[in-house]
Amino acid sequence: MALTQVSSNKCAGGFQKVFEHDSTELKCKMKFAIYLPPKAETDKCPVLYWLSGLTCTEQNFITKAGSQLAAAEHGIIVVAPDTSPRGCNIEGEDESWDFGTGAGFYVNATQDPWKTNYRMYSYVTEELPKLINANFSTDPDRMSISGHSMGGHGALICALKNPGKYKAYDATVLAASYSGPQLDILIDQGRDDQFLSASQLLPDNLIAVCSEKKIPVVFRLQPGYDHSYFFIYSFINDHIKHHAKYLNA
Amino acid sequence: MDLNDIRGGRLAVISEESEQQDFSRESSTMEAYNVVPEPGGRTFQRFSVNTNESLRFEPCEDSCPSPTGAEDGRDDVFEKGECEGEIASIRNQLQGKVAEMENFAGHLEEIFLTVEENFGRQEQHLEQHYNDVLQTLSQRYDDRETGLQEEKKSKLESLYKQLVACGQALDTSKELIETAQEVYRCQDERLFLKTVMPIIKRVEEFAKEDIDLSLSTSLEFSTPLADLSDVKTMMDSINVVPAPSAPVINPQLPNSATQTSLHVCWSLFSDDTVEYYELYYRPVLEDTPADSTCAPQESKVKVKETHCTVTDLLHNAQYELWVTATNTTGISPASEKALYMTVPSPPAIKQRECSSCPEAALIRWESGNTNPVDSYIVELSETGTVGAESNITESIVAVPTCQCLIQLQAGRQYLISVRAVNIGGPSDRSDAITISTTGTFFYLLEDTAHPCLSMSEDGFTIFYGDEELPITAMAFEDNTFTRCVAILGDLIPVRGRHYWEVEVDDETEFRVGVAYEDTERDGYLGANGSSWCMRHIRTPSRHKYEFLHNGWSPDLRITVHPVRIGVALDYDRGTLRFFNANLEQHLHTFHCRFHNYVHPCFSLDNPGALTVHNGIQAPDYTFI
Repeated sequence: MALTQVSSNKCAGGFQKVFEHDSTELKCKMKFAIYLPPKAETDKCPVLYWLSGLTCTEQNFITKAGSQLAAAEHGIIVVAPDTSPRGCNIEGEDESWDFGTGAGFYVNATQDPWKTNYRMYSYVTEELPKLINANFSTDPDRMSISGHSMGGHGALICALKNPGKYKAYDATVLAASYSGPQLDILIDQGRDDQFLSASQLLPDNLIAVCSEKKIPVVFRLQPGYDHSYFFIYSFINDHIKHHAKYLNA
Repeated sequence: MDLNDIRGGRLAVISEESEQQDFSRESSTMEAYNVVPEPGGRTFQRFSVNTNESLRFEPCEDSCPSPTGAEDGRDDVFEKGECEGEIASIRNQLQGKVAEMENFAGHLEEIFLTVEENFGRQEQHLEQHYNDVLQTLSQRYDDRETGLQEEKKSKLESLYKQLVACGQALDTSKELIETAQEVYRCQDERLFLKTVMPIIKRVEEFAKEDIDLSLSTSLEFSTPLADLSDVKTMMDSINVVPAPSAPVINPQLPNSATQTSLHVCWSLFSDDTVEYYELYYRPVLEDTPADSTCAPQESKVKVKETHCTVTDLLHNAQYELWVTATNTTGISPASEKALYMTVPSPPAIKQRECSSCPEAALIRWESGNTNPVDSYIVELSETGTVGAESNITESIVAVPTCQCLIQLQAGRQYLISVRAVNIGGPSDRSDAITISTTGTFFYLLEDTAHPCLSMSEDGFTIFYGDEELPITAMAFEDNTFTRCVAILGDLIPVRGRHYWEVEVDDETEFRVGVAYEDTERDGYLGANGSSWCMRHIRTPSRHKYEFLHNGWSPDLRITVHPVRIGVALDYDRGTLRFFNANLEQHLHTFHCRFHNYVHPCFSLDNPGALTVHNGIQAPDYTFI
């Protein structure tokens, strides 16, 4: 599959690049961001997939989260795809911020007119990894997935629905039916997150289920933090370290 | 002995032999002979008995053999041919004899010197003896003379008194007579009659008195017999060998003592004749009582040699030793007293107070001796991986106290033992302790345990019993926790990385972490600034976890209860990390610059138990 480099910036000793390609799953041009640490010049590196939240593109994470230093230190390639297909001209896709464009939810739509393009689950779990492994110096056996907000949910469902595919995982709600190799989930939640207080986020349910199913989770409630990239920035290092433990083992 | 005779005899032999030699050879032997005085740089000197000078040897010119070959007229010596071999052997013999002569002469020289010394000494003794005798005699004379003088004085005094008394008596008589005459001449008849009768009575009485005309003292002087017996003894002893002078006892040689014996040496100050020595010894006690009747007993050993090994002594004890020399004349004065010390007993390593980590080990021991020793030696050897013993690879000497921090290499096994050292030497080796530098190893500090905590026999499991102990039954010491049912671990004071694991069960509420050694004993772990811990609280419905320091904890949920907690301490990075060791799951990290060494701490908040596991190599994920 042909990749076109859109941008490349030297960052933290490695390179922060953006590529564009024609997606077969999403039937449109898709961009994704990829950070190549210094180690990637000589060795095959593991890959961390980062799924961003509602309204984000591939840019938000790479410009605001400050993950490059930790990724360089641990020698991990970080791939941050876009959050939905773009430019498909589906009616109604731009009407609300939490549905349609920028709100792929990392699932495969089952209904028309969405089901042709909105196949973010397959994109993230199938097409993108194949593309990345074919074009970059990666270790295909070492993958992990992480995300924020909608992306956090997406990471969880990808992991839980693909036991054994991802070496380290982040938040999801589908833990109840999980059966597979052991997970090790790290979740950070800003205490002052407006979505938490609005009960749109329900971590207690997740914790209860995971406790019952004995899925190892460490859930941290961070006082004073909100939902923004400032929050992501503050704890991204801990998360990359968490992934590195398994990716570099 | 007459050197000349001996010389003459020997020389005669040599001269005979030399006659048989080839003439050409003869000259060289002659030279060799004449040169005999030179090799040692000595010249032979004549021994003179008649003078008091020290021995001098003059070259004796008159005993050199003459080259007699020609004079005797034997022409055989001039025949070269057959005599080559003979000549060589004879020459060798001659050389041998010459060497013998040299030795003999040297020996004689020594003997002569010794004899002169002895002679000189004898002279000295004699002089001294006679001086003593003379002194004694003159003293006697003085005493005697003084005695006589005094006697004379007293006699004269008493005679003088007598004289005076006589004079007085005369005067009295004269007076009486005069009075009588006066009365007789008195004209007054009446007065005369009155006074005459008493006077006549007096005169009659006076006439009756006997006059003692004997001398008050005898004219003879008493001359007691002079007691010169001791002078006689002294005179007699002149001819006898003097008693020896005091020997010189040597100071203690290093490494000559054992725990219960001492090897003592001494020497004679002079070449006295000695039949045997007597060595006395007694222990030097720390507190010698003023009352000498309680002084320690002295023991005695009789030996003929100038050394002795005294056995059956106390270890690490000081002994006072002195020696006397005895011969037929008597016993010498005692030598100076020397202080010797037996070697100490070996120390005993305190197993439960030793700790280790990959780079070092801390060993503590008991001295093993009631009295102080000078220092200790720590010896270590590395055992092979197969467990075969190797020789001592390292010794650390001059360790002043009963503990030692030793640098080691990671991942090995060592045998470590200790010796105590004093002036007498080193003790035997203590029983060895095995130290393994895999992971960090420590025991728990029993004296910090809250009274309600009890410990398993191996020292790694703590229990908080069900029964309520009354306050009075709880023995609080200075160092024990008084509120939190806690105990500290004895982590080796070495910075770097340490890892240990704690095994818990589902129900027990506990706190595990680290604390400074001086953490408040009346506080709760994690509630103050001197301790950091992970706390487990059990509610009927779920588990709760806190990571406490200064009473504050982040808000966390953990879904799978860890039953084996890994604790990783990194002094350099300033981190204390907790893991679910079974899942390799990271739970929490404290960030803190530890300004002092910390100790692992453990507490049980409800009845239950926990077990500490250490000596584990830290898994890789714990220190990324």
